[in-house]
Amino acid sequence: MKNSVMIKGNKYGIVLVLDAIQPFDDLKLQIAEKFGEASKFFGKCSLALSFEGRQLSDTEEQEVVDIISENSDISIICIADSNKSRETMFKKSVDEKLGQISSNLGEFYKGTLRSGQALESDNSLVILGDVNPGARVASGGSVVVLGALKGTVYAGVSGNMNSFVVALEMNPLQIKIGDVIARRPDNSGDKSDGNAQVKIAFLEGGDIYIEPLSKEVLSEIRF
Amino acid sequence: MSEVIVITSGKGGVGKTTTTANLGTGLAQLNKKVVLIDTDIGLRNLDVVLGLENRIVYNLVDVVEGNCRIKQALIKDKKYPELYLLPSAQTRDKSSVSPEQMKILVEELKDEFDYIILDCPAGIEQGFKNAIASADRAIVVTNPEVSAIRDADRIVGLLEANGINKIDLIVNKIRMDMVKRGDMMSIDDVVDILAINLIGAVPDDENIVISTNRGEPVAGTDSRAGKAYMNIVRRIMGEDIPLENLDVNIGFWTKLSGLFKKN
Repeated sequence: MKNSVMIKGNKYGIVLVLDAIQPFDDLKLQIAEKFGEASKFFGKCSLALSFEGRQLSDTEEQEVVDIISENSDISIICIADSNKSRETMFKKSVDEKLGQISSNLGEFYKGTLRSGQALESDNSLVILGDVNPGARVASGGSVVVLGALKGTVYAGVSGNMNSFVVALEMNPLQIKIGDVIARRPDNSGDKSDGNAQVKIAFLEGGDIYIEPLSKEVLSEIRF
Repeated sequence: MSEVIVITSGKGGVGKTTTTANLGTGLAQLNKKVVLIDTDIGLRNLDVVLGLENRIVYNLVDVVEGNCRIKQALIKDKKYPELYLLPSAQTRDKSSVSPEQMKILVEELKDEFDYIILDCPAGIEQGFKNAIASADRAIVVTNPEVSAIRDADRIVGLLEANGINKIDLIVNKIRMDMVKRGDMMSIDDVVDILAINLIGAVPDDENIVISTNRGEPVAGTDSRAGKAYMNIVRRIMGEDIPLENLDVNIGFWTKLSGLFKKN
């Protein structure tokens, strides 16, 4: 009785697990109760909803959506099938979309990122300041550092291999683009050599290259 | 049979991390399989002193939280293939790990290594408790200064209260010239106060600063500190090595200029 309604979450929305035997009216009461309890947790958000454990008719589905919006601030933007192949297709298109968004959208951050600080975003990042050793920048897209990059930087976290990293002073401890990782050579220290050049790091043929930023290099960047 | 040693001090800046790096390097030079664990979560240093900072992908917290296997987080030293580092996390804090989790972790490493050396953070809070939880023996590092000795004394008491009875002392950054002038406590003075076994004394040596910045420990080199660390390593392994004479050979001209300064 108690667990005839369960709310589960995945990356793309929530899954409502319903008991197959209980009368639908009983379930409706429990759905109202569950979402009332959980409304604080979810807050105001838009989610995709899918069902498991019970086949619902279109009117029943609509009733459930109404109950959810009455009892919480969640707005259901679509009802997804729990069908496996559709789910993977759905995921793929969402990821692709996210990848595109991340390389086209950017965020600014002003300030120095110091050891132990981490800046993470699905979007591309522009940092107006230095990234010190021990600090970590992770972006779904590209990273531009208008300052010295001496820490750890991950570009294209969600797998965008066309992401790049630009820094006024390029001396990262570790650099990762997509799933390729490179580290600073052992003999170079934290000290800057004074005549730093603007450089770009990009991925080509499974290796990360760091080159001075020039028109030629820029023209070859695709994203 | 592997031995788990915690390097601790209470006070910060006395040389725990430098000592850990050098003892580890020394043991590895004598063909022991060693893993150094940095338990200073949030303020990691040991990787920098060993020059391995650029190799860190996973860390102690990742292992404890099950994000990776221990083997993935262990970093092999540049020079000594028998020396490994388990780095600490920088973006987390001490409460990310519990003493019980440390015990499980160390127990797993015992099969692989002859020596497991834990670099303890300063202080007596969570980080200290994590570091000492699985230790068989402790090495307390202190400087010949009253504040460092006060803290070392507190630490010895806490170690004994936690059932660690094999406690040795390293007096670090000693300057024999100052001791001779009566401006610094001697090794004997320190041992008198703390009343634990002295396993070695390390002179204040500028080579330490150079080696730390380069990421290459001094143990095994010709420097005075390097020799002192190597002797401590041999004593840890159970060899009976007399305490060395730390006097600096002052040249004639230095002595002469010293005379003029006094006047």
